[in-house]
Amino acid sequence: MSALASAHGSPRFGFKQIAMGVLLLGLGAIAALAMVREGRHAAAPAQNAAAVGGAFTGHTERPALSPAEETYAAELWPIHQQTKTSAVQMTFAGLAYKLGDIDKAAVKERVSPLTKMFRDARAQAGRLQVPPSLEKQHQRYLAALKQYEDASVEMVKVARDGKDEHLVAAQKMSYAASEDSLRVGDALWPGEYKPN
Amino acid sequence: MRRVVGAVATVALAGLGVLGTATAQAQNCSVWLVESSRFMNVPFGAFMPDRAYVPGSNSPSNNINTVDLPVNVGVIKCGKELVLYDSGWKQQDYLKMTGSDHWAPLPDQLKLLGFSANDVTKIVIGHGHWDHAGQLMDFPNAVLYVQREELKGIEWALNYPNPRISAVNTSQGGCMRTPACGYPPKTLDEIYGKVLSGKAVIVDGEAEILPGVRIHPAHRAHTAGSQLLEVPTSIGKLVFGSDAYSSWEGIRDWMIANPQQTDTVQQFLAYEKCYKITGGYQNCVAAHEPLSYSDKYPLTKNSWVGINGSRMAEIALASGEKSRKP
Repeated sequence: MSALASAHGSPRFGFKQIAMGVLLLGLGAIAALAMVREGRHAAAPAQNAAAVGGAFTGHTERPALSPAEETYAAELWPIHQQTKTSAVQMTFAGLAYKLGDIDKAAVKERVSPLTKMFRDARAQAGRLQVPPSLEKQHQRYLAALKQYEDASVEMVKVARDGKDEHLVAAQKMSYAASEDSLRVGDALWPGEYKPN
Repeated sequence: MRRVVGAVATVALAGLGVLGTATAQAQNCSVWLVESSRFMNVPFGAFMPDRAYVPGSNSPSNNINTVDLPVNVGVIKCGKELVLYDSGWKQQDYLKMTGSDHWAPLPDQLKLLGFSANDVTKIVIGHGHWDHAGQLMDFPNAVLYVQREELKGIEWALNYPNPRISAVNTSQGGCMRTPACGYPPKTLDEIYGKVLSGKAVIVDGEAEILPGVRIHPAHRAHTAGSQLLEVPTSIGKLVFGSDAYSSWEGIRDWMIANPQQTDTVQQFLAYEKCYKITGGYQNCVAAHEPLSYSDKYPLTKNSWVGINGSRMAEIALASGEKSRKP
């Protein structure tokens, strides 16, 4: 207001006033330009996401893993591979039994070694250096391994009494374990499964 | 080859039921196609080698860089029976599939068509990959039909000593470098769950599951135990192909698509099977055809948008069947 009052008070402009005015105009133009550019940059990602279809709703781009997290993910991967294979071998022992390809004694023969596999995998995973940021995933993975181990112990009981209830209980545990290992996989290996 | 083998006692009864009805007269079925989700921005050449992008090319075969691939599920109503061909996959907090879009729960999509998940009586999976054999537990009354050869193929790959041949994903980034993969423990537990509950029929080769509705083996046309489904309708016979028919343009132009465990000769023989059964390529139903739900894939053009941007199409209506299109 004081500058306005001053301008109204004096209709004549000296060099200093003109220079100050030009300077202020220049600064204003720079600020306006910067705001426009900032606005464009802010709009750019949304425009790109729309153009490419984007990820599904609610899924935001995830930050890269830190070096320590990368190391943990890389060291857990071979354990995870073996675990998945053992889990499916357990499922197929049940399938083979239900399809009449093997008898109940063969279920025990096939599944008992898997109990040790799951136990060993849990011990191996338990020895990994875990970054604090992945402690939750680590605990979840250990719990999944324990659940697989418990499933295998339950499944072997069918050799004793031939009751399907052991297979049903084991399948539920195995299913829950596979969900949990997928949860960990989603954080550590987002490219684990691709369209096929 | 022309028999259904029941896996367990209850399943065997289901199989006998199948044989019992096979002699009845075939009736036309009503058919809809539902988009379970869409895989976005897939390089065209990764899906169909003949369609690889060549920058600057004017050839319509090579001037498209990426495509969006729907995951199509067939909904087939024959009298009181409601059959699904494939069952998509289930997006959950632990299986997000970054880069996919428009996923919607299949039971909710069926509701839009006026059906309940409990109405589904049969699910024929074209093969056992995770994106075609998911959501099985959401259809408690449905009997699953899977080829014995598919299970044998998975078990063979599971126990093969070289990790490059593996039923589970041993290489991050899909199955191009471990081509027998695509079977996560969870998917196989769902299939096993159907067997355990007496809701599975293990099919050996060809089988008629309802009058005129026939399973045809297409072994190694995509996976070891791929299978097709022939369906009689008012517009002629349809043949669903799952990933033996990943691309309808592939069938039309005789180009292979989505090679995994594919024996390309067997894939072409599966294409030929559709030509022989339907009299051409128009009625072949592809699982991932990018042109789905558009005029360019005429069979699917009578379409609309459903939940979360997923699309649906009404393909054929049996006599007396009301349209489900809004």
